[in-house]
Amino acid sequence: MSGPPSSTSIVGVHDDDRQSVLDRPGSDQAPATGPGEPVVSARGLSKRYGDAFALEDVSFALDAGTITGFLGPNGAGKTTTLRLLLGLAQPTAGQALVFARRYEELEHPAHRVGAVLESGDFDPGRSGRNHLRALALATGISYARVEQLLELVELQAAAHRPVRTYSLGMRQRLGLAGALLGDPELLLLDEPANGLDPAGVHWLRGFLCQFAASGRTVLISSHVLAEVAQTVEQVLIIDRGRLIATVRLDELADGASSLEDRYLELTTRDRP
Amino acid sequence: MSGLLRSELLKQRTTRTSLWLPAWMAGLILLVVLLHVFSLSFEQIASSDGQLKVVGWGTSIGALFASLLGAMSITAEIRHGTIRPTFLATPRRARVIAAKLRACAITGAAIGLFAQALSAGVEAAGLAVRGIHIELGAGDYVQLLAGGAGAAAMFAAIGVGVGALIRSQVGAVVGLCVWVLLIETTLIGNAPSAGRFAPGASAGAIAGAVQTQSASKLLAPALGVLLLAGYAVAAATAGAIATTSRDVD
Repeated sequence: MSGPPSSTSIVGVHDDDRQSVLDRPGSDQAPATGPGEPVVSARGLSKRYGDAFALEDVSFALDAGTITGFLGPNGAGKTTTLRLLLGLAQPTAGQALVFARRYEELEHPAHRVGAVLESGDFDPGRSGRNHLRALALATGISYARVEQLLELVELQAAAHRPVRTYSLGMRQRLGLAGALLGDPELLLLDEPANGLDPAGVHWLRGFLCQFAASGRTVLISSHVLAEVAQTVEQVLIIDRGRLIATVRLDELADGASSLEDRYLELTTRDRP
Repeated sequence: MSGLLRSELLKQRTTRTSLWLPAWMAGLILLVVLLHVFSLSFEQIASSDGQLKVVGWGTSIGALFASLLGAMSITAEIRHGTIRPTFLATPRRARVIAAKLRACAITGAAIGLFAQALSAGVEAAGLAVRGIHIELGAGDYVQLLAGGAGAAAMFAAIGVGVGALIRSQVGAVVGLCVWVLLIETTLIGNAPSAGRFAPGASAGAIAGAVQTQSASKLLAPALGVLLLAGYAVAAATAGAIATTSRDVD
């Protein structure tokens, strides 16, 4: 990412701006969640592989308009939680709901939820533009919208090239463009800052803040505390499949630095 | 045309492997048909039956490559992880499988048609070089082309089912090749009473010929259609059930 693009106002708070830049074919549907109802909720969520619990009795709820960090060491269960929320895997016990429904029950999922799971989810021989077009066709979204997003993530010049020629940061941005195709109300991002240079991380941070300022919701997982500490309002800390703390940043005495102490204290205790 | 079908067709023509398939297939047909036309004795290839057996390689190779296309429409997505965005866009996974079946049946029919036309053309050219008269009539060619296309469309559906069940790209490709080129050939050669009910032999029954076999050992065309359609439905259903019930990694 060369710098913060001028078009970050694509998720600005002004309805007029948004209407002109975004097409929202799904916005005529009645909201699935009533006021005050959580956008994301996990209730007693467990996932077992063989004898091992990847996730054990995890419960949390996220309100609209919030940015939440999902923190934990590698292998703590962050990706598993996201996969359960997205209906890619079925829980062993408990419920994973978005907009009070299971993901596969959403009417127009691409217009409600956007997700970036891993930077590797591309066919290496397919161009960035065709990757987005295939998704757009499947979800009834226009090719013009594809071009808007290529512009937003600054991939227009590379859009015709096969993804195998992309850097890790470019793949992250292409993944984000795919997640934003349907102009969703909720973004789930798995380690989105991987491979981004400092300017890219800065841009992503600004983008997410604007996204949430327009009343939308973000859950951003990371194993690197510093990546999310400046962006999020609260963090869920997960370790070895269990949710071990929920921390609101404004309740901490000196923000990020004491969060780091909490995080290390919580995730390193009882380790051999 | 539905958006999902258009999406699958776009994925098909923007994947490198599926672009290579017709080229590999053309090379294989060229090699196999020319080898037979020039190595068989005059007696073996002068008759209409002998000429049908050779052009029947187009049936089995076309069906094989159509099934590979079908299998790779799923295994390539699993291999590269694009199955995740695909299922996020369309969480009702059976709809994705249905779209893949339609897309692969369309392209599979084209592959079958191409395979059959190529093998018939190459055989005719080879026979002309050897100065042997072509005994096949217009009726034979019509059945070869239409039957080859239809059989390949159904084989593409079998491939989608097999790919969804096996999930591994290499496993599905090797499995389908071994089945069509090795097991089917052995079955029809050594136990024709059972072998003629196999999928490849059913394709031959529809097209009028399959590798090394002509109509005499095969089922009636209508029976071949029913049987092969049964295999296709069974494989596609099994693949759809496996896809909807299993977690995506």
